[in-house]
Amino acid sequence: MRLHDNRAWLLLLPALVLLGVIGALPLMAVINFGFHDIFTLSNVHWVGFEWFGDILRSDRFLASFGRSLLFSALVLSIQVPLGIAVALLLLNCGRLAVWGLMLCALPLVVPWNMIPMLWLGLIDPRTGLLGPGLAAIGFDHKFTALHTWALILTVDTWHWLGLVVVLAYAGLSAIPVAYRQAAAIDGASRWAVFRYIELPKISGALAIVFLLRFVDSFMIYTEAFAINAGGPSDATRFLSIELGEEIKGFSYGQAAARATLYFLIVLAVVWAFVAATRRAEEAA
Amino acid sequence: MMRALSLGALVIFILLPLVQAVMLSFTATVASDGVVEGTIGLMNYAKVLAAPELRASMVNSAIYVILNVGLCIALGLPAAYALARYSFIGDRHFLLAILVFRLTPPVVLSLPIFILFSKLGLVNSPVGIALVHCLFNLPVAIWILESFIRAVPRAFDETAFLDGHSGPSFFFRHLIPVIAPGIGVAAFFCFIFSWVEVVFARILTVTAGKPITMAINAMFGFQTDMGMVMAMTCLSLLPGVAMIWFVRNNIARGFTLRA
Repeated sequence: MRLHDNRAWLLLLPALVLLGVIGALPLMAVINFGFHDIFTLSNVHWVGFEWFGDILRSDRFLASFGRSLLFSALVLSIQVPLGIAVALLLLNCGRLAVWGLMLCALPLVVPWNMIPMLWLGLIDPRTGLLGPGLAAIGFDHKFTALHTWALILTVDTWHWLGLVVVLAYAGLSAIPVAYRQAAAIDGASRWAVFRYIELPKISGALAIVFLLRFVDSFMIYTEAFAINAGGPSDATRFLSIELGEEIKGFSYGQAAARATLYFLIVLAVVWAFVAATRRAEEAA
Repeated sequence: MMRALSLGALVIFILLPLVQAVMLSFTATVASDGVVEGTIGLMNYAKVLAAPELRASMVNSAIYVILNVGLCIALGLPAAYALARYSFIGDRHFLLAILVFRLTPPVVLSLPIFILFSKLGLVNSPVGIALVHCLFNLPVAIWILESFIRAVPRAFDETAFLDGHSGPSFFFRHLIPVIAPGIGVAAFFCFIFSWVEVVFARILTVTAGKPITMAINAMFGFQTDMGMVMAMTCLSLLPGVAMIWFVRNNIARGFTLRA
């Protein structure tokens, strides 16, 4: 039971001040920039909702938005089940499990900009370990859209599977043995054990996995840009790549408006997700 | 049988790109004085360690990561304690706010952060990167520490206070030793999100103070020495691997959504 005491805010204060300076302040600035045309920092004109209107009306934005949504949907539907499966597999491995977890965590400590490089090296037709084989079956990540997508999905799965595995394993290993014994006595099927015992117990860990993986894949830049820079013919032009182009082109007002829009999209998803989680908690 | 096969597939999937990188890092990929292309040896590592800008980048990365982890733990501990032990007006709003900060894409904030930090004189300095990485690491640290503190019974605090310990003395002499594994796990997650980050690291290091990620970027050029790049990459993995090793038995405590 937690005591009620509003003085607890004092303990939050240092964290709050720091997050205010590096988070809230820049966020307000970016929203403000979005309403201006910025030539230089001293030459700024108010343009109101012009940028927002331009962006929302452009077909390219809608197409990128659709692509990013599809990409996130694919990432979540591949990585979450796969991560849970690996966690369940490791759970039955006894002392090997620790080694499995360490293995899965390995890609998480590779510098992000090197991850696409490692994979491009791996599939290089001349020098890669997989290159000659892939070239023989006609794999071509530069000019075939489907193959570019497959490669980016594979790279992203390689990078982030470990996070899903570690968090899912954390939830699974916290389930008391008594639950499983009771299920075994009742003759519950493997699926029933998963559906009624394991899944509810890891829902808290899965919620954070879902949100983290959604946001990071929705805003994927480093991997996608390094692998094919949005190509072939815009097939992997995600939202973040459009934003990157604007920042590189010095159209800061428009870039800020776009950044604000992206933030609002992410905020809407987080809010909907949290609202749903709270309702589920209250129903339980 | 199925299990062994799946485990084998997992091992191959994860290790394959790394195996290639390690192999390349020991191979001379560009012919240079007296070394023929394709020779096996340590020359790439020697070249990396001989380059002052690469050595400096390792120091820069180490400084900002240590600062960042230290800050996140120092600010995260009191906040986590407050959330674990007390209910107060707005506690759920605070949790929601840190969730939003954690999930705000860095690229959204990159421009104003750059302007703000250049006014504060924090561009090109590891301190700037350490501060800005708190944006996504502090929430994670708070979540992890909170769940570890919540697992310690309230009676533990009360006994210490009855024994006459003051707040700070209880914090350092009693609470921190008990939740040390939690601090390790929080440090691990802060480390993995900070060491390898590129968006803020790029915009905040224009001319100097480049961390490892940016130093690797700078190695790509007209004629890239892939072996040297891979040697640098392999070296950059070592601290991460060490971190994984230290927290291996506690990593599976993970963190969950609190909002």
